[in-house]
Amino acid sequence: MYPWNSTSYSPSGGGGVSSRSGERRMTMPSGLDDQEKLLAEAIGTARKQAFQMNHFLDKDRILDALKCASTMLSELRTSMLSPKSYYELYMAITDELCHLELYLSEKSNKETDFYELVQYSHTIVPRLYLLITVGIVYIKKDSTLKRSILKDLVEMCRGVQHPLRGLFLRNYLLQCTRNILPDVLMAENEHEGNILDAIEFVLTNFAEMNKLWVRMQHQGHSSEKSRREKEREELKILVGTNLVRLSQLESATLAHYQRSILPGILEQVVSCRDAIAQEYLMECIIQVFPDEFHLQTLDPFLKSCAQLETGVNVKNIIISLIDRLAAYNQRSGKTSGTDIESIIPPEVELFEVFSIQVANIVQKRIDMPLEDTISLQIALLSLAQKVYPDRIDYVDKVLGTTTQILESLEMNNISHFLSVNQELSRLLRICIDFYNNALTVIQLKNFTPLLDKFDYISRKSLALYLVMNILEFETLIPTAEQAEHVLTIIAPLIKDEEAPLGPDGKPVSPPANGNNVDPEEFGEEQGIVARFIHYMKADEPDMQYKILQTARKHLGAGGSQRIKHVLPPLIFAAYQLAYKYRAISEEDENWDKKCQKILQYCHSTIAAIAKADMADLALRLYLQGALVIDEIGYSNHETVAYEFMTQAFSLYEDEISDSKAQLAAIMLIMSTFEQMSCFSEENAEPLRTNCALAASKLLKKPDQCRGVVACAALFWSGKKNASEMRDEKRTLECLKKGARIIAHCLDVGVQVQLYVELLNHYLFYFERGNSLITVAMLNQLIAKINEDLPNLEPTEETKQIEMHYKNTLAHIKSRMESNDAGLEVSFAGISIN
Amino acid sequence: MLVLVLGDLHIPHRCASLPAKFKKLLVPGRIHHILCTGNLCTKETYDYLKTLANDVHIVRGEFDENLSYPEQKVVTVGQFRIGLSHGHQVVPRGDPEALALIQRQLDVDILISGHTYKFEAYEHGNKFYINPGSATGAFNPLDVNVIPSFVLMDIQSTTVVTYVYQLIGDEVKVERIEYKKI
Repeated sequence: MYPWNSTSYSPSGGGGVSSRSGERRMTMPSGLDDQEKLLAEAIGTARKQAFQMNHFLDKDRILDALKCASTMLSELRTSMLSPKSYYELYMAITDELCHLELYLSEKSNKETDFYELVQYSHTIVPRLYLLITVGIVYIKKDSTLKRSILKDLVEMCRGVQHPLRGLFLRNYLLQCTRNILPDVLMAENEHEGNILDAIEFVLTNFAEMNKLWVRMQHQGHSSEKSRREKEREELKILVGTNLVRLSQLESATLAHYQRSILPGILEQVVSCRDAIAQEYLMECIIQVFPDEFHLQTLDPFLKSCAQLETGVNVKNIIISLIDRLAAYNQRSGKTSGTDIESIIPPEVELFEVFSIQVANIVQKRIDMPLEDTISLQIALLSLAQKVYPDRIDYVDKVLGTTTQILESLEMNNISHFLSVNQELSRLLRICIDFYNNALTVIQLKNFTPLLDKFDYISRKSLALYLVMNILEFETLIPTAEQAEHVLTIIAPLIKDEEAPLGPDGKPVSPPANGNNVDPEEFGEEQGIVARFIHYMKADEPDMQYKILQTARKHLGAGGSQRIKHVLPPLIFAAYQLAYKYRAISEEDENWDKKCQKILQYCHSTIAAIAKADMADLALRLYLQGALVIDEIGYSNHETVAYEFMTQAFSLYEDEISDSKAQLAAIMLIMSTFEQMSCFSEENAEPLRTNCALAASKLLKKPDQCRGVVACAALFWSGKKNASEMRDEKRTLECLKKGARIIAHCLDVGVQVQLYVELLNHYLFYFERGNSLITVAMLNQLIAKINEDLPNLEPTEETKQIEMHYKNTLAHIKSRMESNDAGLEVSFAGISIN
Repeated sequence: MLVLVLGDLHIPHRCASLPAKFKKLLVPGRIHHILCTGNLCTKETYDYLKTLANDVHIVRGEFDENLSYPEQKVVTVGQFRIGLSHGHQVVPRGDPEALALIQRQLDVDILISGHTYKFEAYEHGNKFYINPGSATGAFNPLDVNVIPSFVLMDIQSTTVVTYVYQLIGDEVKVERIEYKKI
């Protein structure tokens, strides 16, 4: 008899099998050897029988041949092989069966009824394989038998209920009938069957195979669950082939798919209540059937999704369907210009259907993690964007739904530590990335409400994301209303977190402010906001002014740490706007008043910066403003310019104490003042005097000296009644005062250095034609330097002074030798030896 | 030896960024030194310059946040002593003779300064003066329509070939000026 019929190998021997398989798991290599050995033995036996069978066929001894075939097929009764080995054996044996089929096709004209005959085979597995083989031959001979034999075969196969054997047997059935299914709408002879029979045949086979496949899960010890699941994974393709076959039926119309195919599959999928099967088969449906069918059957398919088992990843199924349909739309959509015209039929309200069904799924599957719910919303969003790129309302609806979901769960202030936060952030980022236009983003009414559900840190990072997008795509924000909207969204960048209110209506804890943020990161972030400000820009000056006011209102509330970054851009934008008004002064009769307003705006904004302990910056901004006013020259400009200058002065006097900063500041005040021509003497004189006074009061003597000398420019090239003053006397007084201060320096090195510098300044005004500067004065300075310079210690500084002096003398020499008639003065008589 | 000369960017005070066309031209790895006349104004801009070349020299403009930049600096490239000063200390602004005072003090062959927002390159008293203008075309009160510009110097032994890049309208125009050391 057959070796596996002895007790030690029999599946009914129970313990024997499970202990062997247990052993196999522990020692994999020998287990593998085992499999190889078993497989080799089985194939060996099968080959031997096949050889015999072919031998008998040659001799027309059909009964002996059938017996051999039966013995060969008996090898497929084994329970010892893994799915993989079983598959190899199956392939070897079914190959041999082809010979039998060929023979029967040629010789079955005899009266022998093989269909009956093979049923005498004494075990069921060989019997059914033979029955299928013979049945196919019969059908090929006489197509009127098709309908009844197919029905018979698919029913008879129920006789094998062992999962592995059953799956392969039915697979054999499916493979053999591949080309003979009645794939026609209407047969000439009704016994040949039609498409409906074909569908029913495959559906029945599918249902049975799926049951067998699902049953595998529940066999054997629970400790082998993972191995079983792996085996099932290897076998799933056998089940899926049924669906492939259904999709290959050419006569099957959409109506068939809607009425029989899909309902049949879904019924089986839902009722099997097996997560692995459901997940795989749903995915299969999506992949094997055409998109046109999917589009018309979204409702039943999605409804079934809602009924799947807890363990099924419904999210992935739906995302996969959406991706497929979106890709279909993009692939086949007609391109007209740059827009892709959707080929989704207008009656299919793709988004609405998905929207409703997704909501349904969310509602029914209460066990679904919130992240997955959000992922579904993301999938919906990408559907809306890919298929209906113009439908902002769809995107907005997804955001609205998401907000409602969060509201129903009473989720607020969602922490950035939560994984659901990441999904939600992704949702909003997709919106930003899709449009790459902040102006479209602000049209989404539900964007802000959803954003408000996040905690401060996440809101801030999303705000930053939006701002970066604006910078990257250079999105101009052309109205105050839009600016207001964007500024509201990015509020977390502009302001500290507001403390949450306690039950008593007072803040419960101090807000997380800039203190615990890395200052460098904070600076970088504010720098980005500052850059963004330049993109709030209207062509129309009145609108630009409104934008600036809006921005000022928002940005002014950020506290001193932010103000220094974000207010200066506003001030410069305002200065520019003032120029714009001057340019259109002939069209806009109110330009004068508007300029006044703008400068008031600047004045108060700079005051805010000054208040935030940024005196140095504020002083420079006032000075820039003074220059702007001087240039624009509107009616009230002198008064306002004077105000800006005095503000700069008071900051200098009251707020700037570091001696280096003082020197830098007074030099700037003087160089600004030197350029301005709007002042009448009444205003100019006090400013000039104040500069001179401030310079002479600098702390360090060298600073004093340099400051006072620089002051000379105010009396020379500084303006009086809009032309250069050329006050020779006071210019020279400044230089002389410089010389007196040098005498008070103790360090001889510094003295010489300053003398050389002073000599250069004397030369400068001498060349410019200040007639009070004489050659004798120059010679006196040169003599002084010549006297002291050799006594200096030979240091690096001394070397520098010597070079400076050498260059100065070379300059004088070149002037003396110059024949340039344009020189106003004669250099003759300067002793440079 | 390629030396990039630029300044008065005023990001983010007056501009959002360098013009995109300039950014495309300025690729990392080709420039050996960067001489910057200041007014960057923030660290981000400095970091950006650092990505273009490792050797970055900066003097302080009146709007620079970083107080540690020097007022003046001398850098030697090949056979040239190059002086660098922002120029806001020069009165009258941008006056060649007033700039010559600094040239003599620093004892340099080339003096680079900014502050006027206008590109200039000229010889004066046998010395070479360069003003790269404002790389961003930043607004300034004395000139509303500033043309963004920067300068690239190609220094070969005793010759400097200066290329000035200006963004006029939407196009980058390049001019070439040569200076030989005597």
